[in-house]
Amino acid sequence: MSLLSVRNLTTEFFSGGAWLEAVSDVSFDLRRGEILGLVGESGCGKSTVAYSVMRLLASNAQISAGEVWLEDVNLTAADEGELQDLRGSRLSMIFQDPMTALDSLFTVGHQVIETLQEHLDLNVIEARERALALLRQVGIPAAEERLNAYPYQFSGGMSQRIALAIAISCHPQVLIADEPTTALDVTIQAQILHLIRRLLVEEQGTGVLLITHDLGVVAQVCDRVAVMYAGKIVEFGDVASIFSNPLHPYTQALLNSLPSQGIARGELENIQGRVPSLADRPAGCRFHPRCSHALGVCRQETPQLRTTADGQEVACVLYD
Amino acid sequence: MSSMTNGAQPLLRARGLSKYFPLESGLLASLRGAKAAVKAVESVSLDVYAGQTLAIVGESGSGKSTLGRLLLRLLQPTTGQVLYKGANIFDMRRTELRAFRRQAQIILQDPYASLNPRMRIGSIIREPLDIYAEGSKTARNKRVDVLLERVGLTSEHARAYPSELSGGQRQRVGIAAALALSPQIIIADEPTSSLDVSVQAQTLNLLSELQRDFNLTYVFITHDLGVVQHFSDRVAVMYLGKIVEEAATEELFAAPQHPYTQVLFSAIPTPDPSRRVDWELPQGEPPSPLDPPSGCHFHPRCPQMTAACSSIVPKLKATVPNRRVACLLYEQAATEPRPM
Repeated sequence: MSLLSVRNLTTEFFSGGAWLEAVSDVSFDLRRGEILGLVGESGCGKSTVAYSVMRLLASNAQISAGEVWLEDVNLTAADEGELQDLRGSRLSMIFQDPMTALDSLFTVGHQVIETLQEHLDLNVIEARERALALLRQVGIPAAEERLNAYPYQFSGGMSQRIALAIAISCHPQVLIADEPTTALDVTIQAQILHLIRRLLVEEQGTGVLLITHDLGVVAQVCDRVAVMYAGKIVEFGDVASIFSNPLHPYTQALLNSLPSQGIARGELENIQGRVPSLADRPAGCRFHPRCSHALGVCRQETPQLRTTADGQEVACVLYD
Repeated sequence: MSSMTNGAQPLLRARGLSKYFPLESGLLASLRGAKAAVKAVESVSLDVYAGQTLAIVGESGSGKSTLGRLLLRLLQPTTGQVLYKGANIFDMRRTELRAFRRQAQIILQDPYASLNPRMRIGSIIREPLDIYAEGSKTARNKRVDVLLERVGLTSEHARAYPSELSGGQRQRVGIAAALALSPQIIIADEPTSSLDVSVQAQTLNLLSELQRDFNLTYVFITHDLGVVQHFSDRVAVMYLGKIVEEAATEELFAAPQHPYTQVLFSAIPTPDPSRRVDWELPQGEPPSPLDPPSGCHFHPRCPQMTAACSSIVPKLKATVPNRRVACLLYEQAATEPRPM
């Protein structure tokens, strides 16, 4: 049973006098108790998917086609009042910069308590108790004193823990995490990712959509992964299959371009050229101008995601 | 160790190098005799071998960027020396310093912030040549074209402004400018951390080629251990201003000795789902450099801490030839004569 279902989502931005597609016809399901990675390079549309799901798009952006369902609720049809109720309770988000979610003028205790009282029927004392428990859960030392501290008094890693505490305070069914550890040091990143997996996914069965550019993070924490390129999902499958048997030439090139253990010093694989801008995406397969396997047909036909015999999904004519 | 004993000579050596940033500045503070300071770099000694790459790794606040700037005399040290071909760069006078500056260049992390948005690419790359009055104006422009081509751009890019280029292209411009005066050593401060992986790969390949072609010496400041492993000959690991371990890259990755290095390595997300690690391990956060713990700075987070660690400051000592570690666990072993 899928928790969050994204169906044929297309999101556009108004720029330079025209509507340009940042996300084109993206579909996926997020299950209970899994971490689904949405991975790709800058500009591939992965964050736009997240903001579309949350309905937090900027004023020059719109969902032009498709639907997003949170179980029985159609998020794309919900009005602002319904969305307010859902965000922070059933649907939560954390950002790369934790200050996006924190208000520098209020103590962190105030902010956690506010969220709790907004969505749950708790009096101040109960909410305070709950806030304290949450701060302890996310590993804030001396939580009691820290309730009265302001965000600027916390390090980046501690701020992200507080943002996480707020995000999970009402036991969301779905957490969207947009590059949550990109700005943090690796030891802190490891702690935060561990928290997300243990506190949310394992203990509460939350479904987490993890947006990241870091393939190491994907390999370490995700169950399934969708690889995006130029606004489309090009490959989708179990983490183990994608890493051991990447099918799409883009996924292959991306994995081969990683400098990592086991690969002796030498030439890293290059992907020639660069990601096309929104305004001039190539016809056919959007990766074809950079693809070392491109055929004539790739220039005209847009490949659809198809399921292979192993259950992996790939959008490439080589597998049609 | 092979990488070190290839006959390479140290090109740059740091000796007892420290940099303290005073917390209070100004007349009042000095009258009060305010002594509080952030010890950004504390008694660092290391050698950078000609034609090789030394990686300096550490988390934010470890002092790695400050160390990089000291190595180029972009900062004045509190104590210590940096010897370039035997001469202390902090004693250099005008002419000598000018000569040093053309041989030692820097590449910065953020190609968006480090290029002047109002200058054309050609002028940015030509600027060092102009400053050093290298040849005629025509010759300089010709050199700009050669450099652009060398870093994988074209002479047409010379007329463009930084805003017209992608992040990867801008970083190539930064590299071309650093190369303009044919330096011997380049300090690269997180040169690829703001780039996407495919662009990072292109940039690293370019830096490798340039090293091979011009016999360049690199000091690579980075927190990305994948890059370190791929790219460097030797690695120095920093924690709160000090080097805690230094070794040849292969040896360090095969068997990290310092508990901090072990924690750091275990926290790196390996892009291989069949090798998942238990991330319960690293505890706590790096302490504030304003108030570092006593003894070994790492002891409050160290899984192998002993009673002595909070009082004794471990010295960076050789455990085996060409390998140094600053940890009490190894001090005993280091001082005892090793069996033959």
